Amino acid sequence: MNTTLFLQQMINGVSLGMVYAIFALGYTLVFSILGIINFAHSAVFTIGAYFTYALMGLAWGFNGLLAQQKLPLELPFVAALLLGGVLAGLLAVALERLAFKPLRERSADPLLTLVSSLGLAVALVNIIQFLVGAEAYSYPSQRVLSGLPPSINLATAEAPLIIPTVRVIIIIASLVILALLVLLINATKVGKAMRAVAEDTTTASLLGINTDRIILFTFFLSGLVGGIAGTLVGLSVTITGPYFGISFGLKGLAVIVLGGLGNIPGAVVGGLVIGIAETFAPSSLKDAVAFVILFLILLARPQGLLGKAIIQKV
Amino acid sequence: MEGFIATYGFLIVTMTLQAMLALSLYLPLMAGQLSLATPGFYALGGFVAAVMSKNIFVVANGELYPLPVVFVEMAVAAVLCAGVALLVGLPALRLRGIYLALATIAFVEVVRVVALNLPITGQAVGIFGIPQPFRSSFDYLIVSLPMLLLSIFFVYRLERSRVGRAFAALREDELAAAAMGVSPTRYKVLAFVMGAVLAGMVGALNAHLLNTWNTRQGTFDAAILILAYVIIGGSRTFLGPVLGAMLLSALPEVLRAAAGLPGLAPFIAQLLTDGRLILYGLLIALGTLFFPQGLITPDLFRRRRARRKAAPAAPVEAA
Repeated sequence: MNTTLFLQQMINGVSLGMVYAIFALGYTLVFSILGIINFAHSAVFTIGAYFTYALMGLAWGFNGLLAQQKLPLELPFVAALLLGGVLAGLLAVALERLAFKPLRERSADPLLTLVSSLGLAVALVNIIQFLVGAEAYSYPSQRVLSGLPPSINLATAEAPLIIPTVRVIIIIASLVILALLVLLINATKVGKAMRAVAEDTTTASLLGINTDRIILFTFFLSGLVGGIAGTLVGLSVTITGPYFGISFGLKGLAVIVLGGLGNIPGAVVGGLVIGIAETFAPSSLKDAVAFVILFLILLARPQGLLGKAIIQKV
Repeated sequence: MEGFIATYGFLIVTMTLQAMLALSLYLPLMAGQLSLATPGFYALGGFVAAVMSKNIFVVANGELYPLPVVFVEMAVAAVLCAGVALLVGLPALRLRGIYLALATIAFVEVVRVVALNLPITGQAVGIFGIPQPFRSSFDYLIVSLPMLLLSIFFVYRLERSRVGRAFAALREDELAAAAMGVSPTRYKVLAFVMGAVLAGMVGALNAHLLNTWNTRQGTFDAAILILAYVIIGGSRTFLGPVLGAMLLSALPEVLRAAAGLPGLAPFIAQLLTDGRLILYGLLIALGTLFFPQGLITPDLFRRRRARRKAAPAAPVEAA
């Protein structure tokens, strides 16, 4: 493999890995606070991509209840991306109220929460299908790029290293989200409260932290980054239909376990490892890479690459 | 009656098969292990039957496939699944809780991708025209119903045997069980292998029933659905998974039938047909909220037997 191809593949891998990372951060945020994996996260991811599509004022296809309808407003891509993320965040908040809070109040078995969140995910995915059909949608590239060239040459004219602009946008957007998130968690009051709740919910509430509100805020953040990740994936491939979050959701699980459950730098490392490994794997085996890595890491180091081993107390 | 069987024969057989899949997930759960590997073994069993019936015991087109050969296929599937379960289970069962669940999901996905790439499993297209041992799909009940009753009886007796008590001890407290001389690894692997064997046999039979087998059989979605059977039915008794599986696998068809009732507003009828999976998902979510212990709880039996208020349910483990 020559250097140019290697670098191109590497950048593709990093761009894929960054999206995995910010998607998996949604899982990690909720897991670090509740110790529960939110299986509805992949549905939120899917809906985020659809929200952005709708907010750009694009028309739906021929199937579903909303066939051929479109919103009267035409937001530019960046605004639609952000607003779509916010709406996805609000949806995640609603899910918390419906599927998580009632069970948490009864301190029910975590398995029940898993099933109830999955039930809602099935419902959401099918609501999408009911409303806008099962066809694929993609964002029109002119409006996304708005004047930018479709690809960028990162090297000299003689030895070109051509990268699609979309990949660069994805990497930059992911880095910005990641930086803001780290800043929020480490340098703000609400971030401090989140860390306190993650450490020990009961003690945090005794110290005057409104844990219920912090949990809601965490779900909002998780939905926000999940929805934005959905749009970014929709941008780099297409929205392949209501189920497009499902396989992504499973890989997100591999990512967080690889990095260490509930560990934010871990999610980034895990995302990059799996993204790059997938890019270099033969295409027919691409989908197995994440799961082989997941299986091996579980056997060799179940706490993940960056996680700390938890000693089981009796 | 004729019309009913023609319409719902397939569904009734499917309900019995799904009930066995629920039992296959319940078996490791008896020993406290949340394994979602059932669809992986189910897919494996189906491929065994599909490959054998297309390559080894070939029958002429239109001729009935000999039933004993189906049993041979089920036996081969059972042996193969037991072997794979040993290989996967021995390392994986060192993991606990959600980690084990994730490792078994990884197993299911790897089986799927391998089947997608092997020429013998038909890759993305799958295997078509698997020969039928019966004239109608309802006749499969001759095999599936006794099989279900046998599995129920097996699990029922198991719970009262030495092995079953060892499982229960592991489920309640692994450390204490080990201290009492119950080998955790041995019994966990045993429970895992039992579940795998049952799932493989169901897959082998279902490949014939469905007539075609591909990688869309036995996915992550199926794993979650089977988990929903067990959780909604009740994960503390063997009857819970069976009832949960029968109710939930019939539900989409019941909703479809309900849409045909006269006097429904067109919007509701459309929701019941096109949107029945929406209602299905919502019902699963509501089921966990309203029946956190599942529909069938051990209390239910105890109350009948003792005619007095059962002891308060064991406190749920706090996180």
